[in-house]
Amino acid sequence: MKTKIRQFIALLGVMVVAAACGGSPADTAGGAEGPPQRGGSLTVLLSSGFAGSWPSGLDPATNTTGGANLTHMNAIFSGLFKLVADEDGSNARVEPEIAKDYDFADGGKTVRITLRDGVEFSDGTPLNAEAVAWNWKRDLESTCTCAPNWPVVEKDPITVEGNTVVLKFTQPYAAVINSLVVSNANWIASPTAYEKMGAEQFKIKPVGAGPFKVVSNRLSSELKLTRNENYWKENRPYLDNLTIKSVGGDQPAYQAILAGQAHVYEGMVTTPLINQAKDNPQVTVTQQPATSPYLIQLNTSKAPFNNKKAREAIYYATNVDAIRKGLFQNQYPAAQTFTGPGGLFHQEKVPGYRTYDPDKARQLVKELGGLTVHLGTIKQYVAEQVNTALQSQWEEVGIKTTIESHELNSLIGEFNSGNWQAMLQTAGAWDPAAGVGVAFRFDSQFPFSGVKDPQLDKLLDDAAATIDEAKRAELYEQAGKLISDNAYAPFILAFAPANVAASNVHGPGVTTKIPPVLVNTGIIWDEVWMSQ
Amino acid sequence: MAIVEASASPALLEEAGQGRVRGWLRHLELAFPIGLLTLIIGACFFWPMIAAVPQPVGGDVLESNLPAFSPGHLLGTDPNGNDVFSRILYGGRSSLVVGVAVNVLGLLVGGTLGAVSAYAGGKIDAVIMRLLDVLIAFPSLVLTLAVAQSLGPSQLNTIFALAFFSVPAFARVSRAATLRLREQPFMMAAQLCGTSTWRMLFRHIAPNITPQLVTFSMLGMGIIIVIEGALSFLGLGIPPPAPSWGNMISQGQQALSATPMLVVWPCVVLFLTVLAFNLLGETLRGRWSGR
Amino acid sequence: MTVTDPALGDARETAAPGVATRILRSPSLRLIVRRLLAAIPIIIGVSLLTFIVLSLIPGNAAQLLLGPEATPEQVEAMTRQMGLDQPPVQRYLDWLGGALTGDLGTSLVSQQPVTSELGVRLGVTGELVGLAFLMSLGFAIPVALLAAYRPNRLFDRVSMLVSITGLAVANYVIALLLVLVFAVQFTFFPAIGYVPLSQGLGENLRSMLLPAVSIAFPLFCFYTRFLRGDLVDQLQGEDYITTARAKGIGPWQVLLRHAFRNSSFGLLTVVGLNLGTLIGATVIIEQIFALPGIGQLMLQAINTRDFVVVQACVVVFAVVAVLANLVTDLLYAVLDPRIRYGNR
Repeated sequence: MKTKIRQFIALLGVMVVAAACGGSPADTAGGAEGPPQRGGSLTVLLSSGFAGSWPSGLDPATNTTGGANLTHMNAIFSGLFKLVADEDGSNARVEPEIAKDYDFADGGKTVRITLRDGVEFSDGTPLNAEAVAWNWKRDLESTCTCAPNWPVVEKDPITVEGNTVVLKFTQPYAAVINSLVVSNANWIASPTAYEKMGAEQFKIKPVGAGPFKVVSNRLSSELKLTRNENYWKENRPYLDNLTIKSVGGDQPAYQAILAGQAHVYEGMVTTPLINQAKDNPQVTVTQQPATSPYLIQLNTSKAPFNNKKAREAIYYATNVDAIRKGLFQNQYPAAQTFTGPGGLFHQEKVPGYRTYDPDKARQLVKELGGLTVHLGTIKQYVAEQVNTALQSQWEEVGIKTTIESHELNSLIGEFNSGNWQAMLQTAGAWDPAAGVGVAFRFDSQFPFSGVKDPQLDKLLDDAAATIDEAKRAELYEQAGKLISDNAYAPFILAFAPANVAASNVHGPGVTTKIPPVLVNTGIIWDEVWMSQ
Repeated sequence: MAIVEASASPALLEEAGQGRVRGWLRHLELAFPIGLLTLIIGACFFWPMIAAVPQPVGGDVLESNLPAFSPGHLLGTDPNGNDVFSRILYGGRSSLVVGVAVNVLGLLVGGTLGAVSAYAGGKIDAVIMRLLDVLIAFPSLVLTLAVAQSLGPSQLNTIFALAFFSVPAFARVSRAATLRLREQPFMMAAQLCGTSTWRMLFRHIAPNITPQLVTFSMLGMGIIIVIEGALSFLGLGIPPPAPSWGNMISQGQQALSATPMLVVWPCVVLFLTVLAFNLLGETLRGRWSGR
Repeated sequence: MTVTDPALGDARETAAPGVATRILRSPSLRLIVRRLLAAIPIIIGVSLLTFIVLSLIPGNAAQLLLGPEATPEQVEAMTRQMGLDQPPVQRYLDWLGGALTGDLGTSLVSQQPVTSELGVRLGVTGELVGLAFLMSLGFAIPVALLAAYRPNRLFDRVSMLVSITGLAVANYVIALLLVLVFAVQFTFFPAIGYVPLSQGLGENLRSMLLPAVSIAFPLFCFYTRFLRGDLVDQLQGEDYITTARAKGIGPWQVLLRHAFRNSSFGLLTVVGLNLGTLIGATVIIEQIFALPGIGQLMLQAINTRDFVVVQACVVVFAVVAVLANLVTDLLYAVLDPRIRYGNR
């Protein structure tokens, strides 16, 4: 007890000195010190509301929450491709990992992925083109929503040529590689192990070719992994053991790291805690480059938002800068379109975008003869706070606003019923075409906006099909402009969670920046190490 | 609820000394909780009418997380720029309204059920008691969670959900009291005179068991306010941004280490209110049982 | 105990049909059997009620599991796979049939057997509740004895004041304050999580201490008040105490040997009744401290609409509550012959 009190006093002293120096010591603690060291057991915490939930197991063909469980899946399976970036998060790019190379043929209708030779699963069986084809056929047949929604041809979409897998589409699909890094199809499971264990067992203890293999797995609670001695990269991973634990939220996770119970927490979103952690020399806080913006989805097919004036009123009534400052202490940039500065095709401003103008908003409300809005969102701390702030701002200009937070279940129900009016959501991804990207929020076939705009559908489809980067950028620019001109959905700010690590942990994605592909950053676990 | 019911402990300051000190203490044990409750209820329901208290919602987000004693914000503001003091007052309203409503429901429905069950005896008693046994064996919080989930969070639904706690508890107290009453000579006398069942229930039983039920409801207030907090804590009570003490605690604990006072203030008023109801209940029970 | 024991010999002779029959005829045993039989409809009632309440909750597990991207066809297929397309009566009967043979079904979400999952988690919750009882009684009994030894003196007053104050503190408030002080400010104790016994008793207890104290403190306050009140009642009102005193037995002896012995029956009953209410407490406390117990499992399952798991948790809770009440009732009846059972 006594030493603890002394430590505490010493810690207080350090904090006072650090504060007096004015600098934030956490920022400098992030850089790797000395050469990486082998060994150590690391515990990583994930929020039970998102990444810390893996109720349907970890088989890539059936894990419905795969997009959230990047850490689990990358640790067990590694991936055909991975997203890397420079230390400051710039120059993000998709690089081949287990794949060696890829090329497009047939104008983007065929993609050929060649595999690295000699890669083996942790059970010693080879990871070759045959294994990938076996996995992909299973993925495509799976009823899981995690199944890849590739526009594949009916007959023999997947073929094997030597150590190359060939995938054939009905239309050009250039975004396939970029979207692989958030797709369950990026993770290749051992066919031999699957046949041996059967589907139910394999969900619990899947076998892949990643840096770690499963020791034990209690769904949505704790996953224990140990070093894969058969890993194809020489002298990797650095860590001996990796334990993934689910935790109730930011606060308990932060406490656990301070108490030494865990070493890394992925996805901190609570601003006051992020700030507190940044001032604490015991931990390193890495704020990831913002990709997915918060936006207000409006049901444009139903009153009141089938009227453009009502939508414009929302644009003018929303004071983005006040929300950025008041709720987020200016940590996140304002957004006017569907990508953030950390993502591809980012555009800071959209010409003609309607920004905060309370007088215009009041005028429009008056012209409409009053406006009543029901604004919903998912039950999550940050989203609820934004909604509360929006309610105050809209009320200020005379828009009568009620707000409601939904469980995921009732949120989906609301969308599917078509009776909703406005929802605070996030849109976009590192690549707008990847995963549940932009199309998901605006395409005619989805219920997440009332927008049924063939022009927008075509722009987004074309952009996903185009290989040429400059051309794609232009298409997305047009799409952004179209959304803005029609006042389809006001964007608020580009958001990304922060990763918090004990000061002795180093590694790409933990203490360096990598743009989150979708929500969380894909940490490159075989490079993570702890100084002893 | 079983906790309270099974307890038969005497009043706090029973047999407190002699003479004047004793009288003074006896006075205090009633005056203190009543005074505290008057203060809390007065502040929650009447203070905002007299004084200029900011609205509990609709704050300016630019005034977020102000510390206590900031100008215009006695206890500071929350992350949305809402005045914490005002939220505590208005939150008290919802907590107290829920508490009163649930206890009144429990008293009326549960009290009647218990009295009828005990008075009728036989098959009716057996059926009612088996049903209540099921409700009591059922983990109440689970039932409340399920009801709150199926009805969706709102103040009215919270009241209905919590009534599942209070009705069986009141029924048990009322049944026990009625059973004791049945043995009394005046009841025998009334029965022998051929008094009708309804008359028996309303004229003889109800007035005699009411003091006990009211005393129990004082303790019940404390319990219900705490459970309402628990429900809000789990995100199934009164939905924010409308304040309740429970949802203030629940919201505040998400950044407990950074802004602890957002949790401390509602905890303090919650504690004081429950304490006042408990003290009052204990004192009344002591007086009622003849001490 | 030898055959020469005259009392036993007598008993054997009078109980001509043999010991076995005699035991069968014993009122205690008949009471046990009758109460056990009465518990069955209660537990079935609880499971039925749970089933009804759960089927009223909107939203289905299939949709939740599949997420927002799912097409209606996918949801339908999953619903069928989960067996949720069967009529409710059929599903309930299927479940009941399984439950009677000890099979509580497979989780809708994880497709794993519920019984084994419950077994693991029951250990955690059991330890939490057990520790809380141990702590609360361990402190409440001596405090109550000391308080009752000299009623209305300083110690009594202070302990009564502390306990009525403590009763007004909600367990989640205690938990948050404990976390704030001991886990955030001073990090004496781990803030969250559970260390299994296999990793050492010390670490295990360290991880359980704060949660157990959060539950134990209000219980301690309650037991102290209850026991102290009962002891004082006994000491003042009961004839046997007067007799004992008249025989010249010392005050501590009277308190311990006589009054406490009697009061402990009442305390026991209260402890039994509390077991049911404690379950509510574990749901919240396990949530705050991230303990992998049944409460946490149930809350997760409610949120994912995994009704098979919720149903199993509720039934386990109900069985524990009913059994606890039964045991205390029986102890009461066995220990206190004044209570007549079954004559009403």
